[in-house]
Amino acid sequence: MFLNALTRILSLPAVGLSRIPGLGPLVRACSTSVGQKIVMAITGLSLCGFLVVHLGGNLLLYAGEEKFNAYAHALHSQGALLKVAEVGLFSLFAAHLGLAVSTGAMSRMARSQSYAMKESKQGIFALPAGGASSWMGVTGVLIGIFVITHLLDLRLKMNPLVKYPAPVAAAEGMTPELNEFEVVRTVLSSPINAVVYFIGIFALGIHLTHGLRSAFHSLGLNGRRWDSLLKCGSLLFGWVIAAGFISLIFWSFAVPR
Amino acid sequence: MSGDLLNLTLRIWRQAGPNAKGAFRDYQLQGVSTHMSFLEMLDVLNEKLLQAGEEPVAFDHDCREGICGMCSLMINGQAHGPDKATTTCQLHMRRFKNGDTIVIEPWRASAFPVLRDLVVDRSALDRIIQSGGFVSVNTGNAPDGNAIPIPGHVQEVAMDGAACIGCGACVASCKNASAMLFVAAKVSQLSLLPQGHPERASRVIDMVAQMDKEGFGSCTNTSECEAACPAEVSVTHIARLNREYFKAMLITEK
Ligand code: HEM
Ligand code: FES
Repeated sequence: MFLNALTRILSLPAVGLSRIPGLGPLVRACSTSVGQKIVMAITGLSLCGFLVVHLGGNLLLYAGEEKFNAYAHALHSQGALLKVAEVGLFSLFAAHLGLAVSTGAMSRMARSQSYAMKESKQGIFALPAGGASSWMGVTGVLIGIFVITHLLDLRLKMNPLVKYPAPVAAAEGMTPELNEFEVVRTVLSSPINAVVYFIGIFALGIHLTHGLRSAFHSLGLNGRRWDSLLKCGSLLFGWVIAAGFISLIFWSFAVPR
Repeated sequence: MSGDLLNLTLRIWRQAGPNAKGAFRDYQLQGVSTHMSFLEMLDVLNEKLLQAGEEPVAFDHDCREGICGMCSLMINGQAHGPDKATTTCQLHMRRFKNGDTIVIEPWRASAFPVLRDLVVDRSALDRIIQSGGFVSVNTGNAPDGNAIPIPGHVQEVAMDGAACIGCGACVASCKNASAMLFVAAKVSQLSLLPQGHPERASRVIDMVAQMDKEGFGSCTNTSECEAACPAEVSVTHIARLNREYFKAMLITEK
C-alpha cells in the first residue's frame, strides 16, 4: 500500500514531463524498470563527472592559499553560468535519488514475503552481504546526509557549529571578501565535520565501486575485451576519489595557520 | 548399496493452498542414503507421510535430469541448494552431513504466488515469453544447416543464453526478485541470431513491459542471479538486454 503510493508520487515528475509535446514516448520508455535504470546510470555518471572536476578544484588546496582562492574567485565570477550548473547538479541529484527510491520500492513490492533463510553463492568481497551492491541504499543515504551538511557548511556558510573567519578587505577601500581557503580549512578541521565528512566520503567510495560498473552495465556498455578492466577500474575510481577527498580532511589539520 | 546413512531434520514450508496461511514444519527423516538425489529424499519423506496418513509435501519436478527447469526449491537459503550449476534434481544427499537441519522453502516472489507447499506458479515467465512474439520456423523438411550463415562465436554466445531452462532461480535468488536474467537470456539470444532480427526492437520493449507488469523487481547488477543459475547464464546477457532496450528506445520505430 505505502510502497504503491510512493511509486505513484515518484512517477509524478515523469507524468508531468510526458505532457510536454514530443516528450511523451521517450519519457514512457524511460519509465520502465530498465528505462529507470538507464536514467539512473546517466545521472550517476554525470554526478561522477562532477566529482572528478570538484576533486580537481579542491586539490588546488595543496597548491596554496593564493592558487586556491584564485580558482574559487574564478568560479564565483561565472554568474549566471554557475547558477545554471547548480540547478543542473541539483536536478541530477534529485532524479538519481528519486529513481533509486522508485526502483527500490518496485523491488520491495516484488518480494512481499522474505525468506526464513537466505545465503549467497557469490564470493564475498570488500563487505559482508554480497559486496557494495547490497549497500547502495545505505551508502546513498549517508552520501545524502553528507551533501546536506556540506552545502550548509560551504555553499550557504550557515553551519552553527563552525566559527567562520570574518571577511577581510584585500586592500583599503575594497569590499571585504571571505578568504575561501581559510573557510575550507576551518570547516574541515572542525571535529564533528571531520567525522561526518569522513563517513560520507567513505560511503561515497563504496557507492562508486559498484556504481560505476553498474552504470556501464545498465547502459549496456560492456564487452568481453574490457569487462575485467571495468571491474578493476570501478574499484579504483571509487577509492581514488574517496582517498582524494579524505586526504583534504587530514590536510586541514596539518596545514599551518 | 554401500555408503553412509544420514539422519536429517527437514524444516519444510507447508501451505495448504494459495490463500492459506503457511508455516514451517519439522520432519525427522532417518537412514537417508547419500546416493539419493534431493528429490528422491523428498519422495521417501512423502512415502512415510502417506503411510502415516498425512498430506505429502507438494513440490515441482519433471525430468529429474537438469533440463526441464521444473524443480525449484530454496534449500538452506540457496536456490537449488549449495552446488553451483546444479538443479535441485541433480543435487545429491552426499552434499549433506549426518544430523543436518535442511530448510526447504518455495521461491519467494510476488510474481510467483505459492500454489501449495513448495509449488509456486511460474506462469509469469510464460507470459513474458508470449509477449515477445514469435519467430517463424518452417516445418517439413529440415532446412539447410548453412542457409543462414552465423559466425561460430555468435552462435556460441546465443547458445549460452538459450541454455536457460526457465526455472526461476534468478528471481528466487535476487535480492530484488528481478527476472532480468531470464528475460535477458531470451532477448539476448534472439537479438544475436539473424532469425530474431525482424522483431528485435519490439521484442525487447514488449518483454520488458510484460516483466514490469508481472511485478518483478528492478535489477541492480548484483550478479547473484548468475551465481545461482543452474545453466550458468551470464549477466553479460543482461547488459545486452539493456543495450537492446537503449537502442530500441532511441533509434527504432516502435
Ligand atoms: C555524488 C553522489 C552520487 C554519485 C556520484 C552516484 C553514482 C551512482 C552510480 C554511477 C550508480 C549506478 C547507476 C546504475 O547502475 O544504474 C548509482 C546507483 C545508485 N545510487 Fe547513487 N550516486 C550518488 C548519490 C546517491 C544518493 C544520494 C543516493 C540515495 C540516497 C544514491 C542511491 C543509489 C542507488 C540506490 C543506486 C542503485 C544501486 C544499484 O544500481 O545497485 N546515490 N549511483
Ligand atoms: S526436474 Fe527437470 S530440471 Fe530438475
